[in-house]
Amino acid sequence: MASPEPSSSPPSQSMVHGAPAASNSGVLPADVLFDVLLRLPAKELCRLRAVCRAWCSLTFDPLFASAHAARHPLFLASFRDDRAHICVVDLCGTVVKRIPNAEGHQLLHTRLDLACVATARYGCRVLNPATGSVEILPERPADDHLNRENFRKLNTSFAFGRIATTGEYKVLRIFDRLSLHGFNEQQLFEVLTIQGASSSSSSGRAQWRARQSHDRFVEASSAIVVGEVVYFKVDRLYDAWIIAGISTSIKPDNIISFDLEREEWKGVLRGPIADIFFTDEYDDHLEDYRILWPELTLADLRGSLSLVHYRKSRRIIDLWVLKDFDTGLWVKEYVIQIELNFPTTERRVKSLFMLEDGRIVIHFPKTGLVFIYDPRTNTSAQMGRRHLEAVAMYTGNLLSLQVGDML
Amino acid sequence: MASAGSGDEKAAAAAMITLISSDNEKFEVTEATATLSQTIRHMIEDGCTDGGVPLPNVTSKILARVIEYCKKHATAAAGEEGSSSSFSDAAFLEVDRAFLEELEEFDDAFLEVDRATLFDLILAANYLDIKGLLNLTCQKVADSVKGKTPEQIREMYNIVNDLTPEEEAEIRRETQWAFE
Repeated sequence: MASPEPSSSPPSQSMVHGAPAASNSGVLPADVLFDVLLRLPAKELCRLRAVCRAWCSLTFDPLFASAHAARHPLFLASFRDDRAHICVVDLCGTVVKRIPNAEGHQLLHTRLDLACVATARYGCRVLNPATGSVEILPERPADDHLNRENFRKLNTSFAFGRIATTGEYKVLRIFDRLSLHGFNEQQLFEVLTIQGASSSSSSGRAQWRARQSHDRFVEASSAIVVGEVVYFKVDRLYDAWIIAGISTSIKPDNIISFDLEREEWKGVLRGPIADIFFTDEYDDHLEDYRILWPELTLADLRGSLSLVHYRKSRRIIDLWVLKDFDTGLWVKEYVIQIELNFPTTERRVKSLFMLEDGRIVIHFPKTGLVFIYDPRTNTSAQMGRRHLEAVAMYTGNLLSLQVGDML
Repeated sequence: MASAGSGDEKAAAAAMITLISSDNEKFEVTEATATLSQTIRHMIEDGCTDGGVPLPNVTSKILARVIEYCKKHATAAAGEEGSSSSFSDAAFLEVDRAFLEELEEFDDAFLEVDRATLFDLILAANYLDIKGLLNLTCQKVADSVKGKTPEQIREMYNIVNDLTPEEEAEIRRETQWAFE
């Protein structure tokens, strides 16, 4: 190497400090350092903040943070062997970070930068995986619901979404009907807006607002939030009605939607069942609806409502995507050939997500296993070996402590 | 240049570019090799390569290595083009795979350099805008950092810790989960 000489290059080129001896040693231009650090997982980067000021400030840079999130997709996972934590995991299933979930609340299938965990008994919490902060929502029902005689016995389900225009997060709480045959009961709905950081001290005072009930029953546990809309499958109660010949305008593949921004019911959609029956192995017979409907799962396919149809007998998963809400146009966009490594005991898909690069994440309910399917190569890989109770996409960034406006 | 000039492809392959290092050493390379560098490609397109391309930021030692990389990968690129246009049978795919493996081995061996050389290669790849080489060398640095403590990294890369003890304590407290 050339003998050391007083540096004549402009100091602005130097991002990494030090480098007293050889020509360029230890000195990387900012854009190269960016490129190098982008390749490291979030956990490594957080640790490397303590190296020096330049490395630290780069990892806090919003441009860097978003480039990093796009390159390293993360999930939220609730493992069956560790219900006391919600874990942030990477594509290999490696745990990047653990957040306490001491009471073992269930994780909702969101695609947001916050996690929402809830119980069937009113309880709901919003966790921020980046900061570790927790917001405990009040259990007390909306005032209008307090006087319902048996609300204490009702089971609850939840949906969690973000309103893009305001940046607010809202939770929808559903009090289900008491019994499977409680035709005369009503499902109760209420909404709560999550308070931002500015009013963190007042979060305990946030209140549930009663919202109108729908004239049909929804299958509360089927809820999926796409954008600002909560979608439900129609309750299976109606299968029995239709089979029994009870006259009703309800179709067994109805999907009921609630606008979380306006806090009111939207329209009732028809699923693509007619198409499925027309082209498929099912007889066009009402009995078959009963077989079919449980095989279907609602999913958020990168901002579009999707119906996941697990056809076990043919070893195929069909993904129907809603192209137009008003006309109810569904298109079968993906046909996934089930590979031999998929568990044979499964009859349906529990949740399904799509990554930025088009890969599809499939979670099965019985085994709790997760597979990542790549449509480009038509192959799939298992995400880790552990069994998951629930999985969600994490769109936030562990590098950024300011995420989510929560403290 | 005594090229027979039969067909455009040969003419292009025969077109030579002269690269001049910071210490004034001249390197003759084919255009196919030189244009792996987007910087040089643009200079050729702008017609300003007559009399050689001066590269004041790259020493002859590093330029020789960069050219070695480009030669190997230019051949690979040419091979790929050939395979997609005229061959598609299994035998050829087999040859392709063998070639890719060889390329990987070449890359691995190419990266067996000391840290100063690696950094100089990164800077050259960045300046010359050679995507493949930049990718390769940046990944090597990233891999070398994985699993290391901040102290080890400072030592490896001669980085002076310019954080105050209070700042460092604060960072470690905030990112404690990353040290577990």
